Amino acid sequence: MLRLAYRNLFQNKVRLVISAGGVALALLLILSLDAIFVGVERQVTAYIDHSGADIFVSQSGVRNMHMASSSLSASAVDEVKAVPGVESVTPILYLTNMIVVGQERNLAYVIGLPPEAVVGGPWRVARGVSIPAAGEAVIDRGIAEKSGMEIGDKVKILGQEFKIAGLSEGTASLVNSVAFISMEDFARMRGNAQAVSFLLVKVRPGESPETIAARIEAKVEGVTAQSRLVFSEQERKVIKDMSTDVVAIMNLVGFLIGLAVIALTVYTATFARRAEYGVLKALGARNGRLYRVVLAQALYSAALGFALGLAFTLLLSVIVPRLGLNLALQVSGASLLKVGSLSLVIAGLSAILPIKQVAGLDPAVVFQRGVK
Amino acid sequence: MNLARRNLFQDKTRLALSVGGVALAVMLILLLNGFLSGMYQQFSAYLDHAPGSVVVAQEGVSNLLGATSLLAAGTADSARKVKGVSEIVPILSQFIILDLHGKKQPAYLVGYDPAIGGGPWRLAEGREPKADEEVVFDSVLARRHGMTLGDRFDIMGREFTVVGLSAGTTSWMTSFLFIRKTAAESLLRAPGATSFLLVSPSDGIALEELRSRLDDLPGSEALLKHEMITNDQKLFARYFSAPIRLMVGIAFLVGTLVVGLVIYTATVERQREYGVLKAIGARNGVLYRVVTTQALIVTSTGSIAGVGLALSAARLIMTLRPQFLVAFEPTAVAWALAIGLAMALLAAFFPARVIAGLVPADVFRR
Repeated sequence: MLRLAYRNLFQNKVRLVISAGGVALALLLILSLDAIFVGVERQVTAYIDHSGADIFVSQSGVRNMHMASSSLSASAVDEVKAVPGVESVTPILYLTNMIVVGQERNLAYVIGLPPEAVVGGPWRVARGVSIPAAGEAVIDRGIAEKSGMEIGDKVKILGQEFKIAGLSEGTASLVNSVAFISMEDFARMRGNAQAVSFLLVKVRPGESPETIAARIEAKVEGVTAQSRLVFSEQERKVIKDMSTDVVAIMNLVGFLIGLAVIALTVYTATFARRAEYGVLKALGARNGRLYRVVLAQALYSAALGFALGLAFTLLLSVIVPRLGLNLALQVSGASLLKVGSLSLVIAGLSAILPIKQVAGLDPAVVFQRGVK
Repeated sequence: MNLARRNLFQDKTRLALSVGGVALAVMLILLLNGFLSGMYQQFSAYLDHAPGSVVVAQEGVSNLLGATSLLAAGTADSARKVKGVSEIVPILSQFIILDLHGKKQPAYLVGYDPAIGGGPWRLAEGREPKADEEVVFDSVLARRHGMTLGDRFDIMGREFTVVGLSAGTTSWMTSFLFIRKTAAESLLRAPGATSFLLVSPSDGIALEELRSRLDDLPGSEALLKHEMITNDQKLFARYFSAPIRLMVGIAFLVGTLVVGLVIYTATVERQREYGVLKAIGARNGVLYRVVTTQALIVTSTGSIAGVGLALSAARLIMTLRPQFLVAFEPTAVAWALAIGLAMALLAAFFPARVIAGLVPADVFRR
C-alpha cells in the first residue's frame, strides 16, 4: 500500500513539485518567523553576552537594557567595589539614539566607556582602537562600510561630530548597532557628570556571579544586580513576550495554508486515480486499505514539504545575513518539533476529503464510464 | 470563456480548495500589510493627539520613540522667547520595560504637567494624576492584566496607583503610560529634565519659519510633528519591513503554486479535448486564453474571498487581542488584487506550455 501511495504521488512530477513546494512554503512561513524571532533574541543580547562582565548592576527595579533607562549615582561605583568578592567595576553610560554615518541614520546603543574600562567595550575590533578617547568613536564595521566610511572619517552622535577611531565586528543587529564613545564626551553631552547607567562587575575567580549579585543588592542601596546570564535571559524574555501573539497568528495562517495545499494536492492525486481505486475496490480491496493509501500520500507530501521547508529556512538563514539586512535567522529545536507536529496534523486533516471521495466511489460506475 | 468555466467547474471540490488556497494567501498578504499600517497608526498616536505643531528635541534626536532626548537646562525658557511661539508643553519621556504578572511589557512613559497638557487625550475611566505616585494606565493593557482603578504596580522599583485608564493609547509592542513630569524626573533621576517641547505657533506664522527659529536654539533640533511621525515610522519600518516582505513573498508563491496546480491538472485532464480543438483549427492563442481565463477565475474569486476573509480575520484578531490594530488601506486592497492577477498570469504559464507542446495527431493516435 505504501508503494502504491508512493507511485501515485511520484507519478506526476509537476504535481509533486507543486504539492511539496506549496507545503514547504507554508511551513517556511512558520519556520522562518520562528527563526527570525530566535535570531532577534540572540542579537538583542549580543552586547550583554559579549560584554565580559559577570554581573550587571542597574538602577533599582531596572531589569533590562534594551528600551530601558537606568541611572545610578557615581558613588555606587565605590560602594559596589567594596563588596567582598568583587574584582573590578566598570561604569558605563548608555542610551539609545540615532547615529549619523554619512547619509545614513542608524539606531544604536551609544555606550560611554571610561578610559580604564576592563569590560564593556567592543569584543572584536577589525581595525583601530577598542577604547575611544575624547572626540573619538568606535562603530560597527558593516554600518561604516555601508556609508563608505573609514577610520578617520566623521560620524554624528547626539548632534556632535566624532572621529571614527575603531571599527568593531558583531555589533549590528536588525534592531540596532552599538557605538562606543568616551564616558567624558557622553557625560558632557548629557549634562550630568554625576550619574552612570550601569556598573559592569567582574567577580574574583572561584566566586559565583549569582551569590555576589545577591550580596551587592544586600549591601548597596537602590540597585538591582543580576548575573550576566539572568540579565541576558530578561532581555530575551522581552522579545519572547512581545512576539507570542504575533507568532501564534502567523502559525495559524501558515497551518491553514499548508492544510489547503496538501488537501488540494492529495485530493487532485486521488481524483486523477479514481478509476484505479474503483478497480481495486472491484477486486475486493477494502476501504480501510485504500484510506491508508490516501493517508500515506498525505504523509509523504507533508514529510517532503517539511524537509524542503526546513532546507529553505536553513538556506535563508545563510543568504539573508549576506544581503546586508542585519537579519539573523536561527532555527531552534522547539520550532522544529512544533512544525514537525503541525505537519503531521496537516497530513491527517488533509486526507479527510480524499478519503470521503474514495469511500463514496462505486466500482460499477467506474466500469460504466470506462477507464480514462 | 464558456469552455474555461466548464473545465474549471467540473470538479467543484478542487475548485473550492484552490479558491480557498488563493484566498488564504491573499488574506495573509492583506493582514500583514494591515498589521503594518495599524502599527504605524498606533506608534504615531501620541504625536497625533499631542498639542503643538513643532517638536523641539535634543540635537541629533529626530525620533520620539526609539531615541532618548534630554534638552539642555533652560531650553524651554529660551524657546518661550522665540518670536511666533504661542504655547510650550514640556514632557519628559522614556521607554521602559514593565514586569506585569511575570510578563515583560514595553511601555512609553510620558511625564507631563496636567495643568499644561501633553497627557492622555481620552480617558475611558478615572482622572489625570494629581500626585507623583499616580499613573494613567492604558485601558487595553489594564484589561489584559486584569487591572482596574486603584490597583498598584511597580515602575522602575517604585509603586504607582492607577487613577485613570486611557483609550487609544495601546499597541502590541508598546502602550503609553502617563505620570506627572515631576514623578518622571524622580524616576529617571533627572531633576528638572525635559525630553521634548511641544510647541504651538501663534497666529499668522508659517510653521517652517517657526521651526527654523527653534532649530537655532543651542543644543536643540526642531522638527514638524509630521516629520517626527515619519521618522518614527521609518525607524520601525526598518525592523519590520524585511520580515514582512519575506512573508508576503512566501504567500505570493503559495498562491501561485495553488492556482498553477489546479489549472495544470485541469489542462492535463482535458489534454485530448485541447488536441481535438487544435486539430479542427483552434490556434494556440485561443487555447492560451482558455487556460488564462481559468487562472483568472480562480484568482479573482480567491482574491475577493481573501479580502473578505482578511476583514473578518482582522475583526476577530482585534476582538480577541485588542492590542493589535489591523488597518486596511484602499491601496493595500488594490495591491492584493493586483498580486492575485500576477498569480494568475504566472500560474497559467505551465499549462500554456503543455498546450503549446500538444501535437493534435498524437491525441488521435492515443
